[in-house]
Parts: sequence; C-alpha cells; structure tokens
Amino acid sequence: MDPYSAEGELINIHNHFHQGQFQEVVDFDTSSFSSENALPAKVLQLRARIALGQAEDVLAEVKGKSEPELEIVGALAELTLGKTDSAVKTAEKLASSAPENVTVQVVGGIVLQASGKPDEALALLSQHQGSLDAVALIVQIQISQNRTDLALKEVTGARRWAQDSLLVNLAESWVGLRVGGEKYQQAFYVFEELAQAPATSSAWSLVSQAVCELHLGRTEEAQAALEQALQKDPENSAAIANLLVLAVVSGQDPKEWTEKLQKVEPQHQLLADLEEKSELFDKAATKYKAKVSA
Amino acid sequence: MQSSPGMLTKFESKSSRAKGIAFHPKRPWILVSLHSSTIQLWDYRMGTLIDRFEEHDGPVRGIDFHKTQPLFVSGGDDYKIKVWSYQTRRCLFTLNGHLDYIRTVFFHHELPWILSASDDQTIRIWNWQNRSLICTMTGHNHYAMCAQFHPKEDLVVSASLDQSVRVWDISGLRKKHSAPTSMSFEDQIARQNQNQTDMFGNTDAVVKFVLEGHDRGVNWVAFHPTMPLIASAGDDRLVKLWRMSETKAWEVDTCRGHFQNAEGCLFHPHQDLILSCGEDKTIRVWDLNKRTAVQSFKRESDRFWVIAAHPEINLFAAGHDNGVMVFKLERERPASATHLNQLFYITKEKTVKSYDFQKNVESPTLLSLKKLGSPWVTPRTLSYNPAEKSVLVISPADGGTYELVNLPKDGSGAIEPTETKRGSGNSAIFVARNRFAVLNTSSQVIDIKDLSNNITRSFKPPAGTTDIYFGGTGNLLIITPTAVHLYDIQQKKSTAELSVNGVKYVVWSNDGLYAALLSKHNVTIVTKTLEQVSTLHETIRIKSATWDDAGVLLYSTLNHVKYTLLNGDNGIVRTLDQTVYLVRVKGRNVYCLDRSAKPRVLQVDPTEYRFKLALVKRNYEEMLHIIQNSSLVGQSIISYLQKKGYPEIALQFVQDPTTRFDLAIECGNLEVASEMAQELDRPKFWTRLGMEALSHGNHKIVEISYQKLKQFDKLSFLYLATGDHSKLARMAKIAEHRGDFTSRFQNAVYLGEVEDRIQMFKEIDLYPLAYMTAKSHGLDEECQAILEATGLTEEEVTMPTIGAPLSPCKPIVPTHKANWPTKAGSQSVFEKALMGQVEGLSLEDQPAADLMDINDDAADESAAKRNGGLLGEDDEDVAGWDMGEDVIPEVEGDFVNVDSADAGGAGGSEADLWARNSPLAADHVAGGSFESAMQLLSRQVGAVQFAPLKPRFLEIYQASKTYLPASAGLPPLVNYVRRTLDETNPREVLPLIPRDLEHLATDDLQRGYGSMKSNKLEAGINIFRGILHAILVNAVSGEDEVAEAKKLIASASEYVVAMGIELARRELGATDDVAKDPAALKRSLELSAYFTIPKIEVPHRQLTLMSAMQQAYINKNYNSALSFANRILANGGSRMPIERANKMKAQCERNPSDAIEIDFDQHAEFEICAASHTPIYSGDSFEECAFDGSKYHSKFKGGVCRVCQVCEIGKRGSGLKLFA
Repeated sequence: MDPYSAEGELINIHNHFHQGQFQEVVDFDTSSFSSENALPAKVLQLRARIALGQAEDVLAEVKGKSEPELEIVGALAELTLGKTDSAVKTAEKLASSAPENVTVQVVGGIVLQASGKPDEALALLSQHQGSLDAVALIVQIQISQNRTDLALKEVTGARRWAQDSLLVNLAESWVGLRVGGEKYQQAFYVFEELAQAPATSSAWSLVSQAVCELHLGRTEEAQAALEQALQKDPENSAAIANLLVLAVVSGQDPKEWTEKLQKVEPQHQLLADLEEKSELFDKAATKYKAKVSA
Repeated sequence: MQSSPGMLTKFESKSSRAKGIAFHPKRPWILVSLHSSTIQLWDYRMGTLIDRFEEHDGPVRGIDFHKTQPLFVSGGDDYKIKVWSYQTRRCLFTLNGHLDYIRTVFFHHELPWILSASDDQTIRIWNWQNRSLICTMTGHNHYAMCAQFHPKEDLVVSASLDQSVRVWDISGLRKKHSAPTSMSFEDQIARQNQNQTDMFGNTDAVVKFVLEGHDRGVNWVAFHPTMPLIASAGDDRLVKLWRMSETKAWEVDTCRGHFQNAEGCLFHPHQDLILSCGEDKTIRVWDLNKRTAVQSFKRESDRFWVIAAHPEINLFAAGHDNGVMVFKLERERPASATHLNQLFYITKEKTVKSYDFQKNVESPTLLSLKKLGSPWVTPRTLSYNPAEKSVLVISPADGGTYELVNLPKDGSGAIEPTETKRGSGNSAIFVARNRFAVLNTSSQVIDIKDLSNNITRSFKPPAGTTDIYFGGTGNLLIITPTAVHLYDIQQKKSTAELSVNGVKYVVWSNDGLYAALLSKHNVTIVTKTLEQVSTLHETIRIKSATWDDAGVLLYSTLNHVKYTLLNGDNGIVRTLDQTVYLVRVKGRNVYCLDRSAKPRVLQVDPTEYRFKLALVKRNYEEMLHIIQNSSLVGQSIISYLQKKGYPEIALQFVQDPTTRFDLAIECGNLEVASEMAQELDRPKFWTRLGMEALSHGNHKIVEISYQKLKQFDKLSFLYLATGDHSKLARMAKIAEHRGDFTSRFQNAVYLGEVEDRIQMFKEIDLYPLAYMTAKSHGLDEECQAILEATGLTEEEVTMPTIGAPLSPCKPIVPTHKANWPTKAGSQSVFEKALMGQVEGLSLEDQPAADLMDINDDAADESAAKRNGGLLGEDDEDVAGWDMGEDVIPEVEGDFVNVDSADAGGAGGSEADLWARNSPLAADHVAGGSFESAMQLLSRQVGAVQFAPLKPRFLEIYQASKTYLPASAGLPPLVNYVRRTLDETNPREVLPLIPRDLEHLATDDLQRGYGSMKSNKLEAGINIFRGILHAILVNAVSGEDEVAEAKKLIASASEYVVAMGIELARRELGATDDVAKDPAALKRSLELSAYFTIPKIEVPHRQLTLMSAMQQAYINKNYNSALSFANRILANGGSRMPIERANKMKAQCERNPSDAIEIDFDQHAEFEICAASHTPIYSGDSFEECAFDGSKYHSKFKGGVCRVCQVCEIGKRGSGLKLFA
C-alpha cells in the first residue's frame, strides 16, 4: 500500500511537512510506524528541522551514516549552512550512485536547484516513479525557469493519477499564480482552506493566501493575512518580503519592512535583486545628461 | 449655310453609300446597311466595327434592331427580308414574298411582327415567329418607300412615290392574331384573297387617312412618339407636318429649306424639334412649333440618304454617300462653376441654379437665361464671381456671345435678369474680382474688361488660341490645339508653355497648386507654373474631373469614375451607368451633374486611393487607420504594395502562408517567415528561410531550419561557429546512433575529442589512423593498446613527421545563447505602428537616436517572438528529429526528450513580457527594463536627469513581484503582480503600477496641500515633485484619465514653482538682515509678489497674497499692499483674509504709494521663470519643460527643469504616454 495514500501511515506527517507545519512534523510520534516507513518519516523530520533552522544539529546527526537518504539530507543541511560545494558534490555523487532512490531524487533535486543547476536537478527528478514530491519540485523548478507551459503539462499529468493530493493542489496553485485570471481565485481557495483551518494553518499557508490576495488586488485582506503570519512566525522572511511589496503596492513607505528583511534574511532575493537594479539604474542614468549643466 | 456649332459628331465611318441605319436601344451599337450589300455592326462609342453580315444580293435599304431580342431584320434589293441573330452572327431565316426592292423593314414594338415596304407597291406585315406573311396592304400605286408602325397605337403610316402618305388601321389584324384561332392553311389563303376581309367582315388593315400635299414622291414618313403628328419628306424638297385626330388628318405646315430631294425626317424623341436630311448634303433641324429652321449642318460632298434617332439618349445618325455619322445636336455638358460649398449650374431650361454640397439641396431658380442666344442653344460655360455674386455665361449662339449677369440674393422662380452686359466672344472667364477676360477666336484677341463691360486692356494671344482658362491670380491659361500657355496678364506675355495636344478643359485643385488638363483621351497634371507632373492616357473618352481635398484627381470617363494620384498611379473608383460630369468630391460622396443637368451624388469608396496617397506621402498614421478600419484586402493592393517596394506592408494583408512567407523573406521579417515555414513545413521553405536567416545572422532560426532539413553537417558547423559545445556533443551522439562515421569524425574534430576519434577509427578498423591520432596527441597508453590489438610493435610502425596536435579553439563568448546583432530587417515604422509601439508617428520629429530605438525594440520583439515561438515548437522540434530518433535505440529515447526540453531552455519571465507588451515607460520599469524606460521618457518628454526618478523606479519595480514560499529549502517562487487581473494571454498582461492617479489625487496631493497650509514648504515642494515623478512614470486606464493626469501635472508644477519662489525669498536671510540690505529687500518684496502669481488653489493663493500684503505693508509699499488686498477681496472665500484685507485696504488707501520700487507690474500678464524667479512678460520668448510645462527665460534652454528636475528645458518630445 502506498504509505502516502489516505490510509497510509505517512500521510499526516507528510502533509504537515508540505503545509509548512514543521514543528508538528518534528513532534510527530513515529514510534508506531512500520519499519519501511520509519526512514521516510525520519527524513521528513530531519528536513523539517533544517527548515526550522537546526541544520547544524541535523548535520551532526547524519554524519557518518551510510544510507543515501540520510546522506542527501546531510547535503541539504550543508547547503542550508552555506557549504554549497560540498553539498553539490554529495548530491551529484548520490545522483549517479543511487538515482532511483526517491529521497535522493527529491532532496538532491532541491540541492541542485538551489545551487543553480536546474538542468541537473530536472534530470535527476525526471527519474522518479510516481513521486508527488518529485512532481511538485519539477513544477517549481519549471516555474522558476518561466516555463509555465511545461509546469502546467506536468501538473495536468500528475492530476491524472493523483487527483486530490495536497501536493498536486499546491503545485497547481503555483502554476495558477503564473497564469492569472480566474486561476488567481482558484489558487486562493486552495491556500485559504489550508490557512484558515486551525489544524493546517501555518505562517507558510497564510503567506501563500496573502500572495493570492495581493494578486487579486485585495490589499487589505492580504495585509491582514500577512500580519497573522507574522504573529505565528515573527521572523518569517516570506511574510516580511511580501509585506514590503504590499506596502509599495498600496503606496506606502516600505522602509520598515526593508530594514526588517535585511535583519532577518540579508541575502533574500528581493534585496539582492533590488541592489542589482539600483546599480543598473545608476549605470543607465549616466547615459543621459542635460545639454547645459545647471 | 453656316454649320451649327452645336452639332457634335461622335462617330464617323467610311464605307459605300449607307441606305439604312438602326440604333441598338441599349448598347452603343449601330447597324448600317450599305448599297454594297453589306450590313455593318459598329460600336460607335469605341469606334470599332464589331461585325459584318453579307448575305444579301445587292443594296440593303431596310434595317432594324429588335427592341429586346438579339435579333435584327434587313430588307434588300434581292426582294428578301432576312432575320439575323447578332449573337450567333448568322441569318436565322429569310422571308420571301415581295416582288421588288424592299425599302424599309421595322419590328413591331411588342408583337412578333415585321413591317416592310416595297417597290412592288405593297406594304406587308410578317410574323417572324412562325415566319409567315400575315397581311398585305395594297393601295399605293407607286413604290412604297417607307412604312412604320405607330409606337403605341395600332396604326401604320406609309409613304409612296405616288405622292401620298397613308395611315392604316391594323387593329383588326391585332384582334385576329391575339384571338385563339385554329385556322387551316387554306383558310388563311382564302382570307388573303378575300380582299382583306375575313369571314366575319373584319378587315386586317384598312386605309384610315390618305394624306395628299406633296407634289412629288414621298421618301420618308414618321410618327411623333407621343403626339398625333406625322412628318414626311419628299422629292418636292419639302418636309411636311401633318396632324390627325380620331376621324381626320390634315396638313399643318411645311418646312422649307432643302434645295434637293428630302430623303429622311424624324421627330426629336425628347424635344420639340424635327430633323431632316436630304440630297442637298444637309441635315436640318426645325422648330416643331414654329416650323422655322433652327440649325443646319452641311456636308461637303456627301448626299444624305437616311436619318435615325436613338430611342433613349440624345444621339442621331445619318447615312450618306460615303458612310455614316453619329452626332449629337447639342452639348450635354451642363455649364457649371463651384465656389466653396456651392455649385452654380445652368439647367436644360436655361436657368441658373445653385446647389449646396453641405445641405444637399438645390436652390430655386436664381436666374433665367432664356433670352440669351437662341432658344435651342444652351450656354457653354459659366464663370462665377463670388465677390460680386455675378455670373459670366458663354453661349455659342451667334458665333459666340457672353453675358454678365448679377445673381439675385435669393431666387424665387424664373427671374429675368435685370441688368446684363453682353458682348461677343467664344470664351469668357473672371480673372479678378473686377475683371474678366474675353476671347474672340475669330479675331484672335483677348480683351480684359471691367465690370461695366469696358475694355481695360487687350492683347493678341498665341496663334490658334481656342480657349482660355483661369491660370492663377493675374494669369490666364491659354489653350491652343497643340499647347497650353501660362499667360501673365500684366506683362502681356506667356511665362510658360507646355505642349499638350487638344486640351479641352482645365480643372484646378482646391489648393490652387495643381491643375489637370483634360483632353479627349489624356489627363495631364501640371503645377501652377505649368510644369508637367504626370500624364495618363485613357482609351475611353474623358469627360470631366475634380480634385479631392487631399490632392487626388478624380475623373470620369464615359463609363467610369477613376482616380489618379499626382505621381500618375491610377485606378477605377466605380463604374457609371450614364455619363456624368464631376464637380466635387467630399469624403465618400462624389457630386456631379448628369446629362439633364441635375445634381447627383454618387457614393464611392475612397479607401484605395486614400491608401495609395498615404503610402506615397508616407503618412503611416493614415494608412494604419485605413487598414484597421476597412477591409482593404485583395490581390491588387498586395501586388501594388509589392511592386512599389513595400513588402512589409503587404505582409499585413496576406493570409495565404506561401505568399506571406515570400513577402516576409522579401522584407527580411524572419519571425513571420519562420512562423509560416512552421505552418507550411516543406523543405523548400526551410531552405530559403535558413539562407535568409543566415544572411541576417539569426543563427537560432538557422538552427531550426537545419534541424528541420536534417542537415547534420551544417548543424554541427553552426554549433561549432556559435560555440555551443553541448549541442555539438549531442550531434556527435546522434552521428554515433546514425552510424555515420564521417559525421562522427567531424563532430569529434569540432569537439577536440581525441579519444572518441581513436575509438571510432578502431571501430572501423582503421588502426593506423587510430594509432597516429593517439600518437600525435601523446596518448601512449592508447598507442600501446592499439599496438597490442594489432599485434605490432612500435618499431614496426613508420611514422610520418607529426605536427602539433590540432585542437579547436575554445569559445569565448557564448554566442549560441543569443543571436548576434542581426541585420536590421526592413521592419517599417508602419509595422511598429501596427503593434502600437511607436510613440510619435511623425517621422521628422524623431531624431536618429529614436530610429535606433526602434531597431532595438525590433530586436526585442523578435526575441520575444522567438521565445514565444519556441514554446509552441517543442513537438515540432521532436518531429524535426524524427529520423534521428528512429535510429537511436529505445533506451536512449530520453535523450532526445531532454534535448527538446532544454532546446527552449529557460523561458522569458513575465517581467520581460511587460516591456514588450507595453509602450509605457512605467511598464518597462516594472519589468526591470530601466534602460528602455529611460529611452522612452527621454523621447517623450526630454528626460535627461534620472537620479530624482530613482525612488519611483525602484518603487514600481518592488511592487512588481511577490514571493510565494513553495518547497522547503528552495527560494520562494516569484510571481508577477498584474494590473490586468482577468488577462491570461501572456501578450496582453501588464504590471501593476503603484500610486495610480487616484492615489496621487487623494493621498499625495492632499498631503501637499497640507504642507502648503501649514507652511512646511521644503516638505511640500518634495511632495509635489514626488507627484510629478509619480505621474511621469505611471499608467492610466483611459483617455479621460490622461486628461486628469495632465491637470494634476499642471497643478503640481504650479505649486513647485510657487514654493520655490517663497523658499528663495526665505533664503535671502532673516528679516532683519534683509531689511538692512536694500537690494535684498527689493528682491524679497519682488519674490513675495511673484509668490502670488502661480495658479494654485484659491485658499492657498490667499495665503500668498496675505504674505505679500504683509511684506509690502511692513516695508511701506502701500500701493502694492493695496493691490494685494484688492486681489484678496476679489478672490473672496474664507472670512479671516477678507477682514484683514479690508483693514489693510482702509489703511493703504490713505497713502497709496510705494516706498521701494520693485519689478512687479500688477496690471500686466506674466509668468514666472522657474529658474530665475523673474517675470516672463507675454511677448518675451521663453522655453518650456516638455513634461510639466514650467516656463523659463530662453537663456535656460538646455538646462534641467527646476520643477521636475528630470527633463531638459526646451527639449521637445513626442509627449508623455500614459495610456496605450
């Protein structure tokens, strides 16, 4: 039986993970799990801990372990700690030695994508055998490469065999936010359902909901959702970044959020991007000057 | 005898003696039966002989067309009546029975009857349907020369050399033949022999009247078409008019004038005239009512034998000894003149009327010209003098007369002219407000006369002058048969001459710059200095012409309205069912006069010539408009465009892929070409596309073409040239799969892969080569292995001298990632305009830099298209690789898949699309394309200093993306915030621009007002500048919002200027310090006064006025203070300032004088220079900021605008664009 199916042991912990409820994942009681599910559950818990910022502990824990699952999780931890080279090395090694291992595929895919190797990531992920995690990841990578068309194809394909899965819904919503129009509202429904039910609500789902609302032009609702997210997780960089955007969109001064983001995640892509554009502006502006200087 | 000038010959044929003529009722055909036994069918309009019918033996005298059937009948001296079909061009049957020459034959107008008159003294009626003789009328006792049916009643009239004219009643015959009868042949024979009474005592045809009066034989007789009148012509040289009633007939009068046998006569179908012809070689026209001669026409040597009238139109024909002539009795061209929106013309009743083009109404009769010339001659030309409201009319009567008549203010019925000035002349026109020119062709003198008809000057025109026309102010156009002269009246000399044959009319364009010279078959367009611009030839006669307002000449021929552009391009606008004379074109309406001098309006479609004109003038806006608003599609326009060298425009009209492909290649539009190639997908097209793309340097398209064509070698080389090693490697693999060793070797060489080469040599047993390769690259192990495999030792191998190993250069630039700078395709401004990407369409406004821009845009565009194209191309891509895939084993199938997936690579982001989708700077900023945004702003409003805009740029940019957390461990997904919420088409999506107009008006503007009120000017000036910057980079939702934005810009600009003035005043120093320095004090007072000038909101103006008043009062400038107080009072509004002003007024009025003279004229209108804060009085030259409209003294030109701090003062732009 598929351990991720509705009756499977892993369904809840897996869903918690993908709903961004990382603490719940860590606290999940896995003692009753059958032996073949113990390792995937362990991997999820380790990944959740990494997401919670305990990468060093995780790294220490998996050190010396020979299971490719744990090794690749170690690579993820290394990546999070900024040791990109070693992480990529591990990932590439595992990609060739154990390419059919689904954890290697998924976590390795993350490592490779995060270190700027989308093609390799896709190559690794494309070997999956019906893993929704892999599908979701492929979708995300393709979206980030602006290949909405391919992402859409992937989602549509997955929907055929995994209709009401959380991950398919999420992936579809991600694509929807790129397509726009009616899809904004559909994506909103998915995230709202997650964000508003106490059992599934997380800063992560609240931010997602807020992003949808922002795209739908409902700035006040977006503001409320983001503030809620910050209450749950005051240092959530995604919430802060989107609050920054929201402030600008509604014509306010985003200074507060810019500073906060700088404190929480100075290397956030928004800031990096802004920096780059600021330089671009200065460079472009030098091409023009008045005939007579004042 | 003087030949009448009114008779106009339209056609003449040369042949033997013509004895019979018949007009076709509808077509421009005439049948002529000749003495030589031939029957000719002519097209008299084209002047061509259509057919000849030769079956009669001897002269053919009688001929007639059937009114409706394609038949005609002829009767000859061979006693035969023949019925012919002109369609099958043969004789259908022959009616035999007459025993002598047949003189005339005629069809009945409705019954299937033929009436014939013969020298056998009988008149017979035949049924041509059953081809039988149905009636024989006997009674004449000499040759029956002519017999005709009455056009309506059951009557026949006949003429005979027995000197009588007989009228026959054939109502019995009709009765019998319309009744159902079953008569045997014997019965018929019996009846015929019964002396025309049948068994019931009825008679088929009985003589009703016998008209006697001619003294000799009668040659011709004719019924009047409507009245009970008969005309006859006889050898007694007389034409007699008879009248009949129910019971009797009598002679009315005789027309005397022919001095030889009168051979033919007829009634004019529409006018009260009789025409006759005779052996005295004349055609004569008689007044039916007075029986007096009206006109006569004499031929030199040919006797006239027969005359015929066209049943419908004003056309006659006469047969003579040497052929036939077709003629008109009078000119049908109505005399007319146009002035502004009025047409003045002379009706057939010889009255002057006017017609208003705008209201489409005819005026009542303005003037009657009945008394001018002879009653039967209508005036030839009309010249109108708008200053005097008078007309000058030329009549050809009496050798040419002119008449100068004043028009009444408003006509009511036929008004006899009160005062006229007359004189003789053949041509007369107004040349000035109070002068007109009269040409007398016989004396060859042109007189210039004043309005009292006195000659003021007079001169001899060039020899042979036939006509004169207006030639522009102070000039005449003098027409001679071979040339046109431009004649200066003052200098009395010809200033220019152009040899054009046979010019008949001159039509000036509305702007007076061009004139069209019309001759019978040519239109020559000349400038006002008589330089030829173009000329064209028409085979059909040209009738009239008029100019379109845009400078297109529309002219009418007999059957078409056509146009010609100044460059001679011409075409048909519409066909005509009857001849008209064009007088004016306005929009889709062509106004004209028809032959009966009635104004008519014809609808035309001006699209084609407008389009061509726009093309010639390169008026792309107009072309764009036409293309978008009309269905101007068709082969003709496409081939026209192609011929004229505008394939890129033709491209816009074509749907057919092949044609589109051809055109796209021709104009180098590779995007379209590759799209079409995809659609057509045939090697031929891919080859051409590849070649074209290669010449453009567009290697991406070259690659696709090669892929489609499976040209592996070329593809490999292309990858080598573009440095795309990964694809080269793939080519190597493909070569391996294909088992193509040459290709594999080639790719290995390109890649510098020695091992692969060695491996391959080994595979194909070329060990020596493998060894040599290994050796030369220093691969000793490999060498060893080869030696082992071949069982040789190193010593056994003799090696040639080995050079340095070859290795391909490493690519430095990843050329394969993007195209080289491609050759600029001939993508026209026009095409860009179609895509809505060009700002100001007018070319001359765009400096060269802008043209560069367009090319940049074009490159962008093509990149976008390419990406877009590739998105959809994946499947085809795979198809292109079909062959490779077949050869590649199944396991490797993925490889091709991967290849096709990353052949597209990462797609363009939505942000990139924004810049392509929109011509607005704000959208480019949101897409992160700051450079193009700056270019746009620089072009639109002359922006040069962008630093102040940086916050705005970054603000917009920051608002463009959201961050959606997705998989843990990966950076969030970026999504793009749109303002087009419902749009999903990537080509239509546009970004959200923060701080829209509404936000600015409700938020920023109010804050600005607040700071003004609370006297926080430093903050305020920044807020208002911020507003300006925010509008400068913004997008609005419609034209109405554009207007609103403009208002906001103007208002913010005024505030910035006002605050700037006051801040400058405060910078002068503390009040006490200023008071000590007279210059500073004066300046301070001036600035406080100027502060009141900008057009800011009234409550704020009151503040400035109060401040100025206060300042003036403190410094004892009571007069100024008084004026400020007065202005406060005039403004009204809240109580506080009014009270203060009243108080101040009371105090100042006691001593209205100024202690300190300042440069401030309270009464003058002026603006404040935003840089120097000094007045710009009206009349002073000044410069403006193209964006905010702030004014500057000219010396500040080229500096940065002090108000917006972005644009260059005095630099013009295409205007800020906020809405696409």
